[in-house]
Amino acid sequence: MRRTLSLWLPQLPLDRRIRLGDQRVHDAFAIVTELRNAWRLTHLTEPARKAGLAPGLSLADARAICPSFLTEPADPSREEALLRALWRWADQFSPRVSLDPPDGLLLDIAGCAHLFGGERDMAETIRERAGDLQITARIGIADTKGAAAALARFAPAPIAIAAPGEAAAALEALPLAALGLDPALVNDLRRTGLQTVGQLYAVKSSELARRFGLELTSALERALGRTPDPVTPKSADPVYAARATLPDPIGLMTDLEAVILRLADSVCGRLSEAQCGARRYRLTVRPVDRPDEIMTIGFARPTVAPAAVLQQFRTPLDKLRLDFGADFFRLVAESVEPLHPRQTGFGHETRREDDRTDLISTLGNRLGFDRVRIYAPGESHLPEREYMTLEAMDRPDAPAWTPSPRSRPVRLYHPPEPLHVETPGRPPLKFEWRRRLFETARASGPERLAGEWWREGDARLRDYWRVETSEGLRLWLLTWPGATEPVWFVAGRFP
Amino acid sequence: MSAGTEITRLQTIAATGLAGPAAHGEIRLAGPVSLARGRVHEVMGDSADIFALTAAAAAKGPVFWIGVSRDVETLAPTGLQDFVDPARLVLSIGLNRAETLWAGEQALRSRAAPCVIVELQDGPDLKESRRLQIAAEESGAVGLVLVHGRARASAAETRWTCDAAAGDGWVWNCTKSKRGPPGAWRASSSGKHHAPHLVAMAASATA
Repeated sequence: MRRTLSLWLPQLPLDRRIRLGDQRVHDAFAIVTELRNAWRLTHLTEPARKAGLAPGLSLADARAICPSFLTEPADPSREEALLRALWRWADQFSPRVSLDPPDGLLLDIAGCAHLFGGERDMAETIRERAGDLQITARIGIADTKGAAAALARFAPAPIAIAAPGEAAAALEALPLAALGLDPALVNDLRRTGLQTVGQLYAVKSSELARRFGLELTSALERALGRTPDPVTPKSADPVYAARATLPDPIGLMTDLEAVILRLADSVCGRLSEAQCGARRYRLTVRPVDRPDEIMTIGFARPTVAPAAVLQQFRTPLDKLRLDFGADFFRLVAESVEPLHPRQTGFGHETRREDDRTDLISTLGNRLGFDRVRIYAPGESHLPEREYMTLEAMDRPDAPAWTPSPRSRPVRLYHPPEPLHVETPGRPPLKFEWRRRLFETARASGPERLAGEWWREGDARLRDYWRVETSEGLRLWLLTWPGATEPVWFVAGRFP
Repeated sequence: MSAGTEITRLQTIAATGLAGPAAHGEIRLAGPVSLARGRVHEVMGDSADIFALTAAAAAKGPVFWIGVSRDVETLAPTGLQDFVDPARLVLSIGLNRAETLWAGEQALRSRAAPCVIVELQDGPDLKESRRLQIAAEESGAVGLVLVHGRARASAAETRWTCDAAAGDGWVWNCTKSKRGPPGAWRASSSGKHHAPHLVAMAASATA
């Protein structure tokens, strides 16, 4: 027999302000949020209600009714953090707790209630302990998630319990909104004269489904326990982090390194126990006289070696200015990935491969990972599109190179560099490029390439000439055939 | 640093001290031209690329090509595929000269790449080249510094000037060599995937 407890926190944002010690909550005060281009009240204190305000009122109207009241915009991310904290806190009542955002928790209490002296005592304990945390809670207990949530939100008493198998009777008097339906659907139902959940019991579900869609019937079936709807507890992602708080600030590099190595030992130890490695580590250092300094390093492959972590942190640590020292350090492993164990140190290839990825990490951490690149073939016949570069970080081994069929210069200038024609010709007999004067000794060509007409952009024909200057320099000249005034460019240089 | 790598490093240093630069051996580019491993060499001239690519082809394993974006981004794998498999190349783009030199030093020191190519506008000075040199000695990698502008007095093992010869091929001119005589060679490529063919040029062997 499944028993579900729904914990509803009707004024979570207000409770957050109360917990912060905000004095304004004793007077008319409201949390506002922007809904459909208007600021509207969402949560109100008791004095605000007494002044005639109600949730859903726009801020301008509310000001007109009660000019003296104060507001605070909602902060969804902090409220979610508070809800998640409560979700961890609720562990003490049941091992299976799931979030019911934005302001609820669902606990599977089958087999737990007797530990607290029965369901009612359990609910009272939860309310009491939540009250200690200055959190207002309403509780519904029923066989199903839907019924429990409906009781928590719409039952008159703060604790409502439906005995096993009596969810239907308990829900009978509740309004239709208790089923958690779309407000538009509730409006439609109201227009047909249906007000309470109990009125739906009398209507055939096939008729309900035909008229109002499957959403309504499936919500009803779930609430009454005719289709299974278990509480799926979400396990917290493990956080691989360690911190050190020191009695006195430290500032010497050797001391910092010792602390970081100790943190790295702890984090990497736990990571390797879980057979994982991290591709990013973040270190927070709190100097005594300034806000936190946050440093992040990356790795080209998941790493759990404390020495490597310390090694990569040396560069950012060098730049850190600690005049008065720091006394708080926290190291977090991010981008945790499973570590595939490999045979190490048995051949030259694996060692060299390891060295290569280590070097890529080292270079990437200082230069930026977008500045350490490898080549990949491209699918085009245009010289500048025949290849591309990828970040070496993402690809531990370079993609196999498919040789291009044509002979191309080793240096390719893209965009091509314009040259100044001194003596015209085809190709020019004398020209100036990069402030040097060249004379054409030999030329071959043209190699005519059509543009990629299936793409947006330049689709003109191109003529490439291989030109050898009298000095021996071998250049690759480009021109657009058919132009009235021929313009020439240097597209590349052969060795 | 683990004990194993520390021991390898010390062994390498000891070997270098006992046996001199020859401890790391050398790579043979073509014919009589070879470059000592664990040393830094400077290459100048319009065709310096071909010299560096020949050296990279002679070494095995990954090749790190380091420079500022203006230089490195012009490198086309479609052109260098005749000499080196582009999959072996890793490009590192430094923001300025200091970053380029730092990256070069790291790459030379790391034992990841037997051949590291650093592109610089002006050649490294004595201090910069000495740092590169020490890094190369530790790992036994060949460091090649491509100098586009002027060269300066440096601690490089050899200095080469490479220019295209009229017609076909190149002239490789060794203008400085700490151990061994300078010389000049005429190199020509005998088709795809072949080391250049070298012919000594008697006339300029006195450079």
